[in-house]
Amino acid sequence: MKALILLGCPETPSQTPLSIYATNKLVKMGYEVTIAANPAASKLVKVSDPDNHYLQNMVDLDHCLNDLDEGQFDLLLGFVHKDAAASFFVTFNQILQCESIALVFERDIELVEEFSQMISEYTDAKVVAVKAFHNPTPIKVKLDKALKEL
Amino acid sequence: MSFCLETYLQQNDDYEILAAQAGFKDCAMIIRYKAPEIVNVKPGDSVLGVRLIGIPPIPVGIDEENEHIFIPYTKPCHGTAVIELPIDQEEIDNIRKLHIG
Repeated sequence: MKALILLGCPETPSQTPLSIYATNKLVKMGYEVTIAANPAASKLVKVSDPDNHYLQNMVDLDHCLNDLDEGQFDLLLGFVHKDAAASFFVTFNQILQCESIALVFERDIELVEEFSQMISEYTDAKVVAVKAFHNPTPIKVKLDKALKEL
Repeated sequence: MSFCLETYLQQNDDYEILAAQAGFKDCAMIIRYKAPEIVNVKPGDSVLGVRLIGIPPIPVGIDEENEHIFIPYTKPCHGTAVIELPIDQEEIDNIRKLHIG
């Protein structure tokens, strides 16, 4: 089984630790995990795990999108905390046509609702939505629940 | 060698950015307002060497008379932009083939 973790803009502090946390969880569940990220988000993840204790594969977001095909991954897990991230998530979901989880988090609850609606309207992904920014714990708790339900 | 939008934007100055750092829906509205003809495409469809990112249906605007198109262009940290750029007739025909109604 293959999982793709889709990272957004790295300006939210919770994204990097949660990407490593999610990778660890998914590997333990039997997934081969690839993280797709832009160069800035990639660097933060690589510096956080210099000896690749947790990371398996990392790919450039643009290259990943160019080569993406239906069925290439069995699970899509996307970090959504900006309008652009919601657009990327919907696009990856539409191409891959696989089981998908959107982790929607923002400090502004109205944006959480807006991004969640965008994703629910155009995909059949499970949407995990929470008001959070610096503190990864509320997101982690909801992610754990969503992974248990897979 | 095929056309690549990324390279084109770096090496030319004959395009116009009509909106920048915006939300996708606002950019889609600008394209629908500005362009004489709209071709609706699927997320991930390739236009000028770039897979378009967004909420379906993604509008691509065509101004055939002036040989220009209007496309949304999304980057994770910079949101969505609307870019108007010159295009040849063959590419316009290729874009029309992507129309999903």
